[in-house]
Amino acid sequence: MRRSLKCARLLMGITLLTALACTGAVMAEEIKIGVLFPLTGGAAAAGRELRSGAELALDIANNAMPDINMTMAKNVGIKSMGGAKITLIFKDHEGNPTLGADLAKKLILDDKVHGLMGAYHSSVTKAVSAVAEQYGIPLINDSSTSPELTKQGYKWFWRTTPHDVYFTKDLFEFLKGMTEGKVKGLAAVPKKDITNLASACEKTEWGAAVSELIEKFGKDYGFEVKKSILYAAKATDLSSEVRSLIAVKPDAMLFASYTSDAILMMKTLKDQKAAPKLLWGQNAGFEVPEFVSTLGDTTVGSLTRTVFIPKIAQVKPVAAKINAMYKAKTGNDLSGASARSFTGLQAWVHVLEKAGSVKPADIQKAANAIEIPGDELVVPWQGIKFAASGEDIGQNTLGMGLIGQYQKAADGKIDLEIVYPFNVATANMIYPFPKF
Amino acid sequence: MEAIRNALDFSDFPRIDRMVALAVVLLLVTFPLFPHSAFAMATMIQFLMFSLYGMGWNTIGGYGGQVDLGKAQYVGIGAYTTTVCLLRWDIPFWVSMPLGACLSIGWSFIIGYPLFQLKGHYFAIATIATSLVLKDIFEVWKFVGAARGLGILPFKYQTPDFLRLIFKEDVYYYYTIFGLFIIGLLYMNWFRKSRLGFQLRSIKDNEEVARSLGINVHWAKIKTYAIATAFVSVVGSFHAVYVKNIEPEDTMSLDISILIALMAMLGGAGSLWGPIIGAGVLIPLKSYLKEWLGAAAGLVGIDLILYGLIIMIISAFEPRGLWGIVEKIRRRKRI
Repeated sequence: MRRSLKCARLLMGITLLTALACTGAVMAEEIKIGVLFPLTGGAAAAGRELRSGAELALDIANNAMPDINMTMAKNVGIKSMGGAKITLIFKDHEGNPTLGADLAKKLILDDKVHGLMGAYHSSVTKAVSAVAEQYGIPLINDSSTSPELTKQGYKWFWRTTPHDVYFTKDLFEFLKGMTEGKVKGLAAVPKKDITNLASACEKTEWGAAVSELIEKFGKDYGFEVKKSILYAAKATDLSSEVRSLIAVKPDAMLFASYTSDAILMMKTLKDQKAAPKLLWGQNAGFEVPEFVSTLGDTTVGSLTRTVFIPKIAQVKPVAAKINAMYKAKTGNDLSGASARSFTGLQAWVHVLEKAGSVKPADIQKAANAIEIPGDELVVPWQGIKFAASGEDIGQNTLGMGLIGQYQKAADGKIDLEIVYPFNVATANMIYPFPKF
Repeated sequence: MEAIRNALDFSDFPRIDRMVALAVVLLLVTFPLFPHSAFAMATMIQFLMFSLYGMGWNTIGGYGGQVDLGKAQYVGIGAYTTTVCLLRWDIPFWVSMPLGACLSIGWSFIIGYPLFQLKGHYFAIATIATSLVLKDIFEVWKFVGAARGLGILPFKYQTPDFLRLIFKEDVYYYYTIFGLFIIGLLYMNWFRKSRLGFQLRSIKDNEEVARSLGINVHWAKIKTYAIATAFVSVVGSFHAVYVKNIEPEDTMSLDISILIALMAMLGGAGSLWGPIIGAGVLIPLKSYLKEWLGAAAGLVGIDLILYGLIIMIISAFEPRGLWGIVEKIRRRKRI
């Protein structure tokens, strides 16, 4: 009798424990975020980077890693929601806005996601943000830089990355600095030596916006944009575009290109023996690892704007830690793309933590109120704080960009060195651009 | 009246064809009533859109035998007319859609006259060129948003808006495009039995003989090209309000032209059912291969390889497309 009573108590205990565990599991609901990236097509290399960056952030958010100096690393899952874990549902939009919009609908209506992230191509983000707005689902954009995206007055759209107004202004501040002798290791360059500019930008939302900004800032800063070309990123031949650029004998060539077209552009410039004194790319294709691994020494001396350069690790311990983790996972250093998707998901974690719920209205309120300090970020920004009103609604107001230059180290490895902002420059600038 | 009777008369098809067609139409009518995912709904809308594009292409490409690879320019004219009319003057879809079709027809007459002086491969290349030139013009034309295109902001309209065709639920878009699909199907049924339809088939068989019979070959081709154009333009207008974001690189790309021709060719050019079968196979195949094997499953790109492989197998097995396979089986049974 006593024995059977003991057994019954044990059984009850086990049942109670199981029930408690189950209750906990129910409390800690799953948070689903739909992520749209270009995983195939011309920007597939960038898509892989973006996905790896987001996955690393997810790993840190869902597991406690106290040695990392980030709020999201301290807890398992979202603490304010009982430790709820985040699940990412990846979709491949191929760089196609129509497909992107369809996939966003699928994520919202079929997969019942609580929020969205993506979509890299500004044109796709524009289409996806319209869907998110229509359904009232929060979308945090990590990596699209067309200024137009935060000027539509959307209430469900936030962007962590600085946009091209910031970046293009940086470019002209940098050119101005060159003429004033502010660049590390470079004497002041006479303005007449770099006054003639020529640009070639891919012709969707992003590239077209960059092209317009180059013309606008060129005029404002007293430079002459001799030629502005728009070309198709899917193009298999850029000979005529490069010929017309060379024809105006520009001092500086400026580009906004995705991956495959950035590589093709450089190859064509080399074939046609272009000889600009300065060659600058607006991030994207100019900073994916494939750009260097495919082109090798051809890239030495070219400049790219970015938001992450591995050298940041020297001054930012948290960036060093995350970069090491990323390198162990993928074999590559963090790039502007992966650092931004990492930061995008980090912003999502902070928003969810503050919201304490997955209700869209709570998330909206939280997103408009969060403030992530700069020392928690891998990117060199002052932090993340979204504008809750005004012309640039939803835009992170604390972001900034970098300009890096590909240089060959003593061990033969090609790395990006910081040349702008001038006060954090890590190497002397190579000028003029070495002949192809 | 005679035309309506002809459009509704499918009696020259075998009984089995009519039964299958009726079953498909009933299935399409009742599809939204069954439990379905948003993805399935989007796929069905794409299927109906590409069926209509294919029907349009089938007039000149299938019945007329003129390989037109420049239909994307008319998708663009339709889409841009509707969007510009809506954004600038708040003109409803039902006015801007026919206006877009008229503009497309006008443009088709302008370029059709010189285009049809060319034959065979030269004609195909010239259609690609005209489409790309128009796309280039749109890319620098500030009035239509240039390369950055135009976007319809959904929150500015009270949905459902039946006049402007702005909806939140896709089911409204589904029944709208389904209605257009039925009209298109009936029109094509009339067209294939019309005087122009017979003229085209004789032109396709032998242009010289057709000319000797008194057919104005050049004019017949231009008229048919205009009809094809109107079909594509109407769907282009629908595309604009459905997607709500158009830009030349997406709306007028060569990919769209190729896909339109591919649907009709793979389904069976020159037959009433061909474009519908082509779209019915290729659109779900593309969507679901991607969904099952693409990014989510971690096999990035395998869906595209399989998709390409299936297209190659069909083309190698029966160059006249899927409808050709059906006819081949029927002939064998008769023997």
